[in-house]
Amino acid sequence: MKRQFEALIWVALLLAAVVASFSWLKLDFVALFAGDGLQQMHSYAASFFPPDTSTNWLRQIFHGSLETLAISAIGTLLAALAGAALSLLAAGRLGTVAKLLARLLLNALRSIPELVWAALMVLAAGLGPFAGTLALALHTAGVLGRLFAEALENAPPGPTRALREAGAGPVAAFCYGTLPGVLAQWLSYTLYRWENNIRMAAVLGFVGAGGLGQMLYVTLSLFQQPRAASVILAMLVMVLLVDALSAWLRRRWG
Amino acid sequence: MTVRLDGVGLTHPGGFQALHDIDLSINQGERVAIIGPSGAGKTSLLRLLGTGLAPSTGQLHLLGVDPATLKGQALRRLRARIGLIHQSPPLPPRQRVVTAVLAGRLGQWSLLRSLISLCYPLDSAGARAALEPLDLQDKLFARCDQLSGGQLQRVGIARVLYQRADLLLADEPVSAMDPVLADHTLNVLGKVAAERQISLVASLHAVDLALRHFPRIIGLRAGRVLFDLPAERVSQAELDQLYSNDSFNEPVFADPVSAIAAASLEAPRRCT
Repeated sequence: MKRQFEALIWVALLLAAVVASFSWLKLDFVALFAGDGLQQMHSYAASFFPPDTSTNWLRQIFHGSLETLAISAIGTLLAALAGAALSLLAAGRLGTVAKLLARLLLNALRSIPELVWAALMVLAAGLGPFAGTLALALHTAGVLGRLFAEALENAPPGPTRALREAGAGPVAAFCYGTLPGVLAQWLSYTLYRWENNIRMAAVLGFVGAGGLGQMLYVTLSLFQQPRAASVILAMLVMVLLVDALSAWLRRRWG
Repeated sequence: MTVRLDGVGLTHPGGFQALHDIDLSINQGERVAIIGPSGAGKTSLLRLLGTGLAPSTGQLHLLGVDPATLKGQALRRLRARIGLIHQSPPLPPRQRVVTAVLAGRLGQWSLLRSLISLCYPLDSAGARAALEPLDLQDKLFARCDQLSGGQLQRVGIARVLYQRADLLLADEPVSAMDPVLADHTLNVLGKVAAERQISLVASLHAVDLALRHFPRIIGLRAGRVLFDLPAERVSQAELDQLYSNDSFNEPVFADPVSAIAAASLEAPRRCT
């Protein structure tokens, strides 16, 4: 009896919190669907069709797609290189102090989202693809460094130790003993993050970091819905293509 | 003198004393088998000889030097001259056999050469020559995870043969092979040691193999040398003493049914 009463109080409190949130945030779903709301939604959605397929615009979209692709690829590559270097430290291969510092740095890089990095990088490097690349590289380095370090920690120590005991130097022993075991995993993580980053690169344009996202932002701001529609379609096609390519690569090497 | 131990003891970090006060010397070109029950300290002794572990007490001399006094390059040079064959070969599963064998000479190669050879095997002829006596040359470009346990063990042996060490150590080198292959493999190891006039120290579970292939037998029990004799003087009484096990002197069940019944009596289950 007492437990039921307690549960009732909790439910009442939750309900009160939900109602309070709605009224505080002024979320008025009734107004959204009342009157000519649906009518307006329909006409706005309809204004996107048919998409603009003029040759000139398609050419611009092609360039934008290439830019987005390049931003995501270079950003991920830089992140993989930095992540690999940091993961060696974070896995404790070079002492405890370096391990703690590297983990701190990786956490900091990872906990700041790409969009925030992009806004900061636009301030630092100016509008354009360079800022987007840096933003992706910084956040992804934090993610990949952490994943790479975990792979390193899970790698069996036997092969490398045996090589060291046969007189091999630390670098050679690592390359022959540990790297073959973790490389496929590293590659698979990198390709997966590349998939994420190509989606992210499309969004980063909204804060001025170049590529398809910037085209989308500009066309939407100028109420050029047909042009925006073809940009959205281009994004969709590119993401699907990269997902397929990356899945194929991971099946082959993973 | 290739190997000399004076009063060597070994205590593992957990506090377990694996070896007690061992005096031993092995001459250049001698072939020695170490036998004894599980947990007698055979692997610990071999890891000590392979500089993987350092003695807690006493003095160890390998190829004329005390490894405890060496550091850096000098230690690496000594280690490059000692080849240890592991019971379960420490080979990365995704590595190709040729690379795994060539890794035997990392101690002699420069870093640049090692890294180039990692991408493109620089001496596949040498790797093939090391695999040939073990009848594994057709697996040169196979991946290690495609091999059976016995094949993997032979790849581990080929790596140490390729290393061209001056002291050959082997920890249960044929434990995953069938009797014929085990015989053949020990022959190959013995022949290499005899040709190059180097010492071979191997631990073995199979006493018959030890007596057949090694002129000198060391019986290790509970971390102490029980006997150290020429093979022809090792008698059944010594072997019985070496392998006797007090905890198995209880009545042994003749048929499995009564054994199961007894087991279920001994381990009462609790329902909660």
